[in-house]
Amino acid sequence: MMAKQKLLPIDEQPERYQTLALVLTVSAAYLPLASHLNWRVSAFVALVLILRFAAVRWPAAAPGRWLLLALTLVGVANCLLANHTLVGKLGGTSLLVTMLALKLLELRARRDHRISAIALCFVVVVQFLFDQGIGLTLYFGGIAFMIVALLVDLNGGIGSPPIRRAMPVVLRICLQALPLTIVLFALFPRLTSPLWSLGFDQDRATMGMSESMEPGSISELVINGDLAFRARFDQRPPRPDQLYWRGLVLWEVDNRKWSPGRVNQYQPADSELTRAAERIDYEIVLEPSRQRWMFSLDLPIEHPPNTVLSRDFQLLSDRPITTARRYRLSSALDFRTAVPADAERRYALRLPDNTSERMIALVKQWQLETDSDWALVQKGLDFFNREEFHYTLLPPKLGANPWDEFLFLTRSGFCEHYAGSFAVLMRIAGLPSRVVLGYLGGELNRIGGYHLIWQSDAHAWVEVMIAGRGWVRVDPTSAVAPSRVDNRGASRLLGTYAPARFHIDSTGVLANTIRHLRLLADSIDAAWQRSVLDYSAAEQTRLLDRLGLADYGEFALAGIMVAAVTVVMGLILFGLVHQPVAIDPATRCFALLCRRLAAVGLVRHAHEGPLDFAARVAVARPDFALRVNAIVALYIRGRYMPNPTVADVQRLSQLVKAFVPRKPRRSFSNAKCRKYFA
Amino acid sequence: MPQSTPHPQVKLIETLLATAGRIILGKEHEIRLAVTCLLARGHLLIEDLPGVGKTTLAHLLARLLGLQYSRIQFTSDLLPADVVGVSVFERGTESFRFHPGPVFAQLVLADEINRATPKAQSALLEAMEERQVTVDGETRPLPAPFFVIATQNPSYQVGTFPLPESQLDRFLMRIRLGYPATAQEKELLAGEDRRAMVLQQSAVLSATEIAALQTAVGQVHAAAPLIDYCHGILAFTRRCERFAHGLSPRAGVGLLRAAKAWALLDGRHFLIPEDIQAVLPACAIHRLIGNDGTGRLDHDEVSTAILTAVAVP
Repeated sequence: MMAKQKLLPIDEQPERYQTLALVLTVSAAYLPLASHLNWRVSAFVALVLILRFAAVRWPAAAPGRWLLLALTLVGVANCLLANHTLVGKLGGTSLLVTMLALKLLELRARRDHRISAIALCFVVVVQFLFDQGIGLTLYFGGIAFMIVALLVDLNGGIGSPPIRRAMPVVLRICLQALPLTIVLFALFPRLTSPLWSLGFDQDRATMGMSESMEPGSISELVINGDLAFRARFDQRPPRPDQLYWRGLVLWEVDNRKWSPGRVNQYQPADSELTRAAERIDYEIVLEPSRQRWMFSLDLPIEHPPNTVLSRDFQLLSDRPITTARRYRLSSALDFRTAVPADAERRYALRLPDNTSERMIALVKQWQLETDSDWALVQKGLDFFNREEFHYTLLPPKLGANPWDEFLFLTRSGFCEHYAGSFAVLMRIAGLPSRVVLGYLGGELNRIGGYHLIWQSDAHAWVEVMIAGRGWVRVDPTSAVAPSRVDNRGASRLLGTYAPARFHIDSTGVLANTIRHLRLLADSIDAAWQRSVLDYSAAEQTRLLDRLGLADYGEFALAGIMVAAVTVVMGLILFGLVHQPVAIDPATRCFALLCRRLAAVGLVRHAHEGPLDFAARVAVARPDFALRVNAIVALYIRGRYMPNPTVADVQRLSQLVKAFVPRKPRRSFSNAKCRKYFA
Repeated sequence: MPQSTPHPQVKLIETLLATAGRIILGKEHEIRLAVTCLLARGHLLIEDLPGVGKTTLAHLLARLLGLQYSRIQFTSDLLPADVVGVSVFERGTESFRFHPGPVFAQLVLADEINRATPKAQSALLEAMEERQVTVDGETRPLPAPFFVIATQNPSYQVGTFPLPESQLDRFLMRIRLGYPATAQEKELLAGEDRRAMVLQQSAVLSATEIAALQTAVGQVHAAAPLIDYCHGILAFTRRCERFAHGLSPRAGVGLLRAAKAWALLDGRHFLIPEDIQAVLPACAIHRLIGNDGTGRLDHDEVSTAILTAVAVP
């Protein structure tokens, strides 16, 4: 096998450390991808990489041509088996990493290393299809730096300086790329929808709020530690207990669950809000949910473009939210809605089939004891407060009639138990009611100045139609006596992701530190989201607007981009051609001395040697002579002597920094003389 | 640190310069240049009117340096054999015997070199370049150190054969002595006879010490910016339209070596720009020809022009 191989020219023979560095870089680049790709692909790549590492140590372990061919076939088959396709985000990426790993098995010449390093660049790009967070961006920035360093090293030829010495070159290449990157980032025409949302990767739905509510559905969500959205208020944020983030409105109840129902909810709201006191403006960045509903502070009065505000004040997007979405809107905390139409009213009174006698009897009892609708609502809340109701994240399983069982048997549950059963009770009493799903509260990130609303903040409350007041928000969960809130189960389940109301030892130093670090990380992430990931066609249009070129659209953008790239490249080229001669520290110090002396009128001529200059200075300003002579002597040692000592140069730097010449004081002038003797 | 301590023989040179300064008054710079030229293994051309002390200087240097000295008076009927020597048939041995000419000395004073014919001039100049003489097919080395001080009258005087440029290039330096300043001239008039004073001097240095100093010159460090500076000067003379042609690479090598010798005399083991500037007029101007038809250049003006035109890096 070895005999058949052609002998490589000496400058094409790779060093062992180059091979090792390349394989390590590929492994490092693959690591974050492993969580996104099928385990089969990961296993195959890991196997090949292990084989490769073994081949670095024992070259005999490198597979021959036939084994390599077989491995390639197995790899492709493995990709097919894992993804059922070789195209698309997952299929293509799997094939790319498999092939790159296999390429590593035939690293012979430096040329193979170069090809692999360049192919690795594609892996870096592809990974951004999966994750665009700032952490990974920095990580892959590091990988890209490694690739450049490797390429510089591989092109260095034989006997080139070690990579440590080549680092300035690598840094310079990366810095030269930076302005180009910025220009392309700002000006490369954006597609309004990302290329890769072509519809073949829908299987990875994000966990979030579901469309209906049944006992247990929200407590499942609360365990989820994901972010739901971020909100930033223009003015002072409202109190935490006012932060009811409205999402879906559920009208229909059956034996087990609440669902949106058949109300024509996509009909736009017809200014039902009759009183909107203080207006609150804010901005929300919603994480992708693959659903259409969006969240707003209860109640929204204005809605962003490409959305609909339905009659029951649901904010709905015109298409599923697949990427993070930023929108601005306004809400009013104090409001009064119009009285609903009769059809709507009737719909909001429908009862589930399994309404039990006990429930009807309970409500009848309340009706006897009260005289107004609002008093009845209060009676219901009192019931939750006085009776042995427990608030827990680990409620017991409910049987066929969950609402009845919760109210009279188990009496411990989460917000969906309270909201769902309370709404049923109100409907029995003849008060139209509906359930609202959304989030309550949120965590204020003081570093970033915005609120974080986690999935664990999910909440459900009730809206009851009160004559003369319209739909009124009633939160039965808050009626539970605080002493009966069971924290233990929650914190055990949720850990650090538990909503603030479940934190027991948030006063601990460690817990506090962790919390602060988490908030800091999130504010960095939010800034990244705002300034980089959200930079879209809209921002580009705004940029064109500002330049007065909006009419030309993407042509103008492309034109500016080409022009800017040309300018940047031109500047870099100019810099390359007119590369300043490396300036040694002694020269820099001397230049500073010359500048300072020039400021007091002692300009060094270009042709003047340092000693001559010092002599001239000494004649012109004898008060400088000592210091200037000392500086010049050190400069001469530092610049012209072979192997100048560091100490000399440091001393020179100190002396020059300390030497600040001043213009001579004006001598006793004749005018002054005259004044004295007048 | 070896770089900061001057060469041991430099002290002796200082004594030499001081002594010479007492005899040839007010010409310290020229004497220093002459010694620099010797240490740089170059040859010296002194161009000036008769009677300003050219011969005295040469004689004095020979005495102080402890060199074997000979003098050739160049005249229009001088033959090459008068310079290098001649083979004479000797009856007793029935063979030719070489009688070495005056060039076989460590310090040769070629007086009024431009009075001789080009043929006689070139005999000396070839010896200067090769440091050996070939007579009758036999090559004979000249003694070491070999140092020629040639004097020349300004070429506008009658009966002169001006040295061609190619020959001038063989001289590392050309200096002028000029009239002494008033005070020095009065001192000269009042003082002892200079010739007698020269004869009273004894050698300060030996030939081996001179050889050691010449070796030390080669070890003087020239930092990269100074190489740049040197090259800048060469490039400028080639670019400047006032000159028919610029300085040759040999001139550049000579300039740098002379500057190194100057630095060594100054007690340094590394060059600074002032060294180059100090030796440039002596090293460069005689190799340049003006572009104005006459070929003449004003020595001082041209050196100032070159020195101000090239920036010190």
